[in-house]
Amino acid sequence: MVDALRRAHDMVRPGGWVVDLHPTAAIASVEVGVHVTGRVDGGDAPLRHAAAEAALATVLDAGLFAVDRAVEFTFYTYGDTIEELRDYIEENWRDGRIDDTVVRRTRDALREAPGTRPRVREQVRLTKLHAIS
Amino acid sequence: MPIEEDPEGHETTALDGLVSFASCRVVEIGCGDGRLTSRYARSARSVIAIDPDAEAIAELARELPTVDARAIGVDELVLPAQSVDVVLFSWSL
Repeated sequence: MVDALRRAHDMVRPGGWVVDLHPTAAIASVEVGVHVTGRVDGGDAPLRHAAAEAALATVLDAGLFAVDRAVEFTFYTYGDTIEELRDYIEENWRDGRIDDTVVRRTRDALREAPGTRPRVREQVRLTKLHAIS
Repeated sequence: MPIEEDPEGHETTALDGLVSFASCRVVEIGCGDGRLTSRYARSARSVIAIDPDAEAIAELARELPTVDARAIGVDELVLPAQSVDVVLFSWSL
């Protein structure tokens, strides 16, 4: 990760920007409306996201970049059914899975809230870095 | 309705609030199928979008023909030094 950021520093013109978007170390949750039915098992995702933070800290300490601004936002992924969301997570996330207990709880919650689509909630940080020559 | 990612547009709002891509030469690393690329590509001067997933890159190339889409990792990307305005790590660090 540090190597990728160093390469980005080489590519960008003086005064240019490097922008990073990645999920925070917060564990993603499954929701029906405002009701949290469980967590997504992201495997080693929290460690990877922490490593991304550490890589950013390393290049900042090295004086390659300065933080211009950083914001966090919530990123929702919706499915029509919990089974559709489960399959999507398994196919598209590295090591991601929604276990059977969470699937059952979500089905129960959906029965109580007809017309509501289940969703996965992630917290994402966007950091804008100013490249220093 | 298929899977929907960020229908509220929180990601676009956050990005638009911090970065202007207008007339910029952009490199996007980890672009996948171009979900984020499509949000800014029209305003940028040029976009090179890379991802090791060849299938996703093929989809991006179909949807966004003006983007220089390459099925490679960042280690394989060779560009002149100081030749771009913005490098975007798209959920890829």
